[in-house]
Amino acid sequence: MKINGVLIDDTFAEAFPMKATRIIITAMNLKWAHRAANAIRGFASSVIACGIEADIERELKPSETPDGRPGVSVMIFAMSVKELEKHIPTRVGQSVMTTATTACFSGLDSDKKVSMGKSLRFFGDGFQISKVVNGKRFWRIPVMHGEFICEDTIGVRKAVGGGNFLVLAKTARQGLTACEKAVDAIKKVPGVITAFPGGVVGSGSKVGSKYDFLTASTNEAYCPTLKGQVKSELGVDIGSVLEIVIDGLDEESIREAMRVGIRAACKFGPKKGIYRISAGNYGGNLGPHLFYLRKLLK
Amino acid sequence: MTALCFTLKHTPKFTLDVSPLTPDNLEGKTLAKIKRLPLVYGKETVNVDELFSVKGRNAEEIRIEKSCNKLMYVGQGMTKGSLNINGDVGDFLGQSMKGGTITVKGNSGSWAGNDMSGGRININGNATDYVGGGLPGDAFGMRNGLINITGNAGDRVGDRMRRGIIIIQGKSGDYCGSRIHAGTIIALNKVGKNPGEGMRRGSIILAKRPVHISATFKSNGNLKMQFLRLLFTQLAAMDPEFQIFNKYGPTAHRFSGDLARNGKGEILILQIIDKLD
Repeated sequence: MKINGVLIDDTFAEAFPMKATRIIITAMNLKWAHRAANAIRGFASSVIACGIEADIERELKPSETPDGRPGVSVMIFAMSVKELEKHIPTRVGQSVMTTATTACFSGLDSDKKVSMGKSLRFFGDGFQISKVVNGKRFWRIPVMHGEFICEDTIGVRKAVGGGNFLVLAKTARQGLTACEKAVDAIKKVPGVITAFPGGVVGSGSKVGSKYDFLTASTNEAYCPTLKGQVKSELGVDIGSVLEIVIDGLDEESIREAMRVGIRAACKFGPKKGIYRISAGNYGGNLGPHLFYLRKLLK
Repeated sequence: MTALCFTLKHTPKFTLDVSPLTPDNLEGKTLAKIKRLPLVYGKETVNVDELFSVKGRNAEEIRIEKSCNKLMYVGQGMTKGSLNINGDVGDFLGQSMKGGTITVKGNSGSWAGNDMSGGRININGNATDYVGGGLPGDAFGMRNGLINITGNAGDRVGDRMRRGIIIIQGKSGDYCGSRIHAGTIIALNKVGKNPGEGMRRGSIILAKRPVHISATFKSNGNLKMQFLRLLFTQLAAMDPEFQIFNKYGPTAHRFSGDLARNGKGEILILQIIDKLD
């Protein structure tokens, strides 16, 4: 199968179950909402070492936020509810509460919830105020800029992490140009994020390592400099491989994100150095969600 | 199915306890059985059909027509459904209510929403004293829910309330929010003397400066309260009627108090300004 001359490998991306939540960060203006959101998504590229994966989902108009101010929605993924419980209060506390004029709310309705304001309220040192409005509990924590307003809990739901595809290009520059367009296209799909910096992974990994203390290590089959040393998946013309990893609220949203992302990358074609699209899988051992490239692009 | 409708045949001489006439209590009962339900009338007990003509089937939606202020305990303990009353009601409207909606097109007696812990009461008229307040000996007044009064309210609105929201669109009497433990009272017109007297926590939000504020409240000056943005946005999302709050900005003159108790409550006097400010 080829799209615009770009070969689509007959393979599949392998994704795994995760738990997801969505927070809404509002502020005096979008600039400060983005500052808070960027802080919370910093060091949140992969659960391998960061504990969570997080990214900005989209900007929100004042009419879409609980307090009528401009904001952004941030989606956060983790391997378990316990991990979310551990990371949400610390990340919101250190990244959002510290950003001037911000407030933080739940962006996901669910019966299953994790603490947010419920934990952060103690920063108020006894001066915090609880308010129940419209069936939801909010905390007003007095801070030096005024008050930090935070919803008591946030909803958590089942999700899918690790949807992916690989862009095999002649050079890193050409690969990255195509990936940027692919990420732009993916950002328009609701319910998905690409948590790595800029949405692109420069150092995709495989599961395990020759070293016992590592759970993940370089994916040597796709490293251009290891052609000849290992059983490489790359032909002589491939000089760079970049990966786009997608987490989503469900399989369908990941499928749609992969579809639009691959099509956007393929628009560049072999003349602009994009030769192949492949995907990362571990023989079906990593997770139950399999996204066959050729099937989803039909 | 048509709403279950109770029409008062004549104005009762004595107070009439209509607490059995709730969606919870009437659900699954036949019309004949409903007509034979006993109601406490003065010192006697009478059947429903001695005082009301009854028609309709849907117990989830109850209407009381030609109501008057002798009807006490309207909607007591209800947890679901709706109760619409055309006319006035007596004391203890929605007492111990846990859910559902009561709408009164008329005036209400005292202690509306006493011991309420959920649901909503709309009074499209005036209410007398102790709206959402606790009875003597009660630890708390209302513990959750929302009371919306389009007319005026008497003294001691929300006395000892623990949680919930009371909105008074007309005038409020003296000691509005007295001794409240928490919760929110919003008064959009003139307010009498000493609002928040003895309050521990909670918010009393006033659109107009009250006649007198107790010396045990400390001015914090004019502050931009993001909480007000949240509250007004959420209320407007609940009910288009609450779009009335759109004209108020987040800036308010804040008084903290009552310092004679522990000063963790607040009186916020709203200012009408540009929301984008």
